[in-house]
Amino acid sequence: MAPVFHRGQLAIPVTCILMLGCIFPLALLAVFSVFEVDLDAFTLVPAFSGQNWVQMFTNPVFAFLIGKAVVSGAGTAVLAAIIGYPIAVSMTRLPVLWKGVGSIVLLTPLYTGEIVRIYAWRVVLGSEGLINATLKWLGAISEPLKFLLFSPFTTHLVLLYNNLPFMVLAIWISAELIDKRLIEAARDLGARPIDAFFKIILPLTTPGLAVGVFTVFALAAGDMMTPSLLGGTSGATPMAMIDNLFGTAFDWPLASALSLSLLVVLLVFATGFVGVLLRFDGARAVFRRGAR
Amino acid sequence: MSRLVILTLGLAGCFFYLPIVVLGIFSFNAASTMAFPLSGFTLSWYADLFGNKAFLSGFITSFLIAQPVGVLGALIGLMAALAVTSPRLKFRVAFAVLILVPFLVPKTVLSIAQAMLMNWVGLGRGATALILAQTLVAIPFTTTIIAAVMVRLDPRLEEAARDLGATPWQSFRRVLLPQLSTALSAAYSIGVILSLADLTVSMFLAGRTQPLSLIVASEFRRELKPDLNAMQVAVLVLTALIVALTEFNRRRRLRGRLAHGRDDR
Repeated sequence: MAPVFHRGQLAIPVTCILMLGCIFPLALLAVFSVFEVDLDAFTLVPAFSGQNWVQMFTNPVFAFLIGKAVVSGAGTAVLAAIIGYPIAVSMTRLPVLWKGVGSIVLLTPLYTGEIVRIYAWRVVLGSEGLINATLKWLGAISEPLKFLLFSPFTTHLVLLYNNLPFMVLAIWISAELIDKRLIEAARDLGARPIDAFFKIILPLTTPGLAVGVFTVFALAAGDMMTPSLLGGTSGATPMAMIDNLFGTAFDWPLASALSLSLLVVLLVFATGFVGVLLRFDGARAVFRRGAR
Repeated sequence: MSRLVILTLGLAGCFFYLPIVVLGIFSFNAASTMAFPLSGFTLSWYADLFGNKAFLSGFITSFLIAQPVGVLGALIGLMAALAVTSPRLKFRVAFAVLILVPFLVPKTVLSIAQAMLMNWVGLGRGATALILAQTLVAIPFTTTIIAAVMVRLDPRLEEAARDLGATPWQSFRRVLLPQLSTALSAAYSIGVILSLADLTVSMFLAGRTQPLSLIVASEFRRELKPDLNAMQVAVLVLTALIVALTEFNRRRRLRGRLAHGRDDR
């Protein structure tokens, strides 16, 4: 008989696929980042040149763009956490039947394409769009509010819209896992609802919060289409610059160096945020229970 | 307390559906500029849609690309889910992180890296490259969906099959797979939906292939016209239909299983 097969071995083909399709191309960026471009022949010349990396560290444009992506991602993650938290906790209070409906209602906007969402927000926020028309009709304004469209406000509103479901989902799942008897016990012992929230629910949902922050940060910081189509003059991102260097300028080495720098910085910040959140006692308690 | 819950969820629902509803309203509005106040009801934007050759061919291209993405995504997701839920898997955390890489790396960066690789090895960009790249993006979603169902299954059923002498393949085919059929169809739907919704991956890997999202994006940069509204509503309705059919399928099977008991399979 052949050696015993078990399904854990299926990890091998899947690992191969992901290595070949994702990790290998990303690793190739490191190789390309030290190549040089021959602009006359329009080809890449294998070389060992540190010139792109010198540019990466000395030209402030790159640091500025990457920093902007980090701030934008972190801001969106914090907003999503603050707004998503009450939504997620409210969903745990729904009767069982409504939870199914709630999850469909929550997830359906995720399935609409990026371009559909961006397009729809342009119709809502435009100078003759829903918001401005309503405010005008109410007599609150006489001129349309210009900052609603093509501004950092627009970018962050839509980034929040795109990523809020991921935050709600992460917190909701971890809130559902809390043993309800803990809350009942606290209430029986005389804790006010607000105390029960801060002493039990909030600490025990920190793992969900960490997952949500990690996901929303990575997705929002890495979003190119939303800032470039809705941010107006403020819409420059490292991703758009990489796109430019790759497509228009044919500077693949510099594009590679910028891509790698961006990935490393995002990874460091994302794990940093998660590390801070998981230091709280609640997270440790959840993991100890899970490990048992 | 309960009123607060309803208020919170109501506000959240409004936020999530406001843009979608506005889109729908304007697709029936009889004016070529998208501005309030509304000027009357029309179906002409939908009629225009069917006359638009570029949209139709883009839609067919998108549809044809989405099918293999759904099938491949569900198959690889099934393998990954089987592996990640296996008690005997080593390096489980590393494997789980690897599965999430396509989800967490900015899509622009991943697609450009893939495009560079394709060029470097001399393979052109086009439909095949697009299908492969979109499948990779779908894997984190399909794996999560299938694994979430798999962890809730009763492991004793599989153990019983093995004790009764079934080979690993037989116990998979006869015991595990029937219980996973709805999860598999949900995974296929997610793959199709993600492929239809995708823009970023298409921008870098579609080559000369023109899926719908690329056509819409290039129109979008020029001007906003209500036939685009109608188009987006059509895409949305199609997406909602896929979601609803998947959900309906799940309920039907669930009811069937309750009515006949679990043993008659």
